[in-house]
Amino acid sequence: MELKDIKAIIDLMRKNNLSEFELERQDYKIKLKRANGGPQPATEEPGYYPLVPAQAAPAPLPAPAAALAPAPVAAPTPSLEIESPMIGTFYRAPSPDAQCYVEVGSEVHPETIVCLIEAMKVMNEIKAEVKGVVTHVLVENAKPVEFGQPLFRIRPA
Amino acid sequence: MFEKVLIANRGEIAVRIIRACKEMNIRTVAVYSKVDMDSMHVQMADEAICVGPGPSAESYLKIDRIICAAEISDVDAIHPGYGFLSENPHFADICENCNIRFIGPSSHAMNALEDKAASRALARKAGVQTPPGSEGAVENEQEALAVAKRIGYPIMIKAIAGGGGRGMRAAHNDGSLVKGYHTARSEAEKSFGKSGVYIEKFIENSHHIEFQIFGDGKGNYIHMGERDCSIQRRNQKLVEETPSPLLENKFKDLRKKMGKAAIRIAEEAQYTNAGTVEFLVDEDGRYYFLEVNKRIQVEHAITEEVTGLDLVKMQIAIAMGEPLRLKQGDIHMRGHAIECRINAENPFDDFRPSPGRVAMYYAPGGRGVRVDSHVYAGYTIPPTYDSMIGKLVAHGKDRREAMDIMSRALSEYMITGITTTIPFEQAILQDPNFRRGTYSTTFLEQLLGGARRELLEENA
Repeated sequence: MELKDIKAIIDLMRKNNLSEFELERQDYKIKLKRANGGPQPATEEPGYYPLVPAQAAPAPLPAPAAALAPAPVAAPTPSLEIESPMIGTFYRAPSPDAQCYVEVGSEVHPETIVCLIEAMKVMNEIKAEVKGVVTHVLVENAKPVEFGQPLFRIRPA
Repeated sequence: MFEKVLIANRGEIAVRIIRACKEMNIRTVAVYSKVDMDSMHVQMADEAICVGPGPSAESYLKIDRIICAAEISDVDAIHPGYGFLSENPHFADICENCNIRFIGPSSHAMNALEDKAASRALARKAGVQTPPGSEGAVENEQEALAVAKRIGYPIMIKAIAGGGGRGMRAAHNDGSLVKGYHTARSEAEKSFGKSGVYIEKFIENSHHIEFQIFGDGKGNYIHMGERDCSIQRRNQKLVEETPSPLLENKFKDLRKKMGKAAIRIAEEAQYTNAGTVEFLVDEDGRYYFLEVNKRIQVEHAITEEVTGLDLVKMQIAIAMGEPLRLKQGDIHMRGHAIECRINAENPFDDFRPSPGRVAMYYAPGGRGVRVDSHVYAGYTIPPTYDSMIGKLVAHGKDRREAMDIMSRALSEYMITGITTTIPFEQAILQDPNFRRGTYSTTFLEQLLGGARRELLEENA
């Protein structure tokens, strides 16, 4: 199998919107898998030795505030996330009986306050710092947030 | 009783502390930087909170974020590990003000030993000899020259705010002293924020021997014997052992004397929790106080092996307000233990750091072997932090057996994908001077031919 053949297969996959392709011949086997946004590099496995065995990496214990920002699943339009710049408790409104700063559909500008994060008894106003429309609110009111945790998803204007 | 403890550290020591907490049924909270997301301590803890991007100054050293993390996870105490914020009295104070126990010495003790000048003065007050040198900071080069004339060359210029082997340089004559004095001051300013330096006699062929101490804040103090840490490269420890071959073979009565001196220093400082009193011992058996390490240390593991005690659990117990249950007479050392620090460095390329993805990882096992590491197959060692990836400890019934076990374990250890200091440590274990136990702090540099290099630089 040559590189130009692999490239041709990748092209075919993209054109026909295929996500997986596997081909086995006498002396080789090739498997291609498309992740979001494009094909992965091909792995050519000769028939006579296995891939490096899966390592004994311990499975992550559930952590209530994982920092992994979920990758957009084949989002047709781009979106941004507002991430928490600090550790504290997330509040959607300036006070318990007030209206939320933003809702899904709210328009925001860089200076728009989108939420409060309370840290050490101090209320910190968090600004959007982007221009667009709120498409998702990712954290529940009064829940703890960690550094870098995504708070809102925004469709940029 | 603590219900939950936050570990303000990473790597192997964070794993060590989490293990102790688990055994005491204490829930654990890990903090981590974005770069450490896949790190072992994050996986092991019950909860994990991201505190910032990779660089320590923006994550592990961010006091406000650590405290916020402690607040939202509602912990009873914070264990600072070693390095990072472990010896920061400001951080210890903030913890107490926020009603969070700091698992370490009181800020009073930390302040009493806040820098080298204060520590030396305290040691002298406790009747413990320090290396001859200047009273405190040396203000100008004339003063430096005068001190050097009084005590005689060679001398050491040391940063007052330094410690842990950093911020020191030797001078063998007036010329190198003047040059070194100014360089040392600007280095100190850059590394420690304070340019103050002092001068001490350079103890030639010294042995670095330290004593583990504990204070419980109720007037009880004990020491747990010594650790010989003379095997150092550029003042960073690489191999440690207990008991010290020097004390065992040559100066048997020193252990009692030095142990008592360590206790006197602990009493003078009203020291609480775990600490280490460091001494330099010369070839004639004279010992000099160096500094106090106000934290649990990397090499605490060898003391644990020979005493059978869990030092981290003792730290937690003392922080919970329990008194020391052991008296000096209850401490016994059994057998001999050696530790090799495994660093992700290439010993054949001037110990250049070798971060990267660990492809295959097999740690040694069997009788007398202990591995304290956070590494696993598939883990990527980030370039952001120090290069130590684990500790290998061998415990045998005597020094000979400990060496045999260590050599065997080193040869069994398999780490591919990165380069480690393992082959270099195997060479150390085979070296005749090491095997005879006749080595001093010059050992490693001599092994590397460094001694010659340093003298060349001096005379350049």
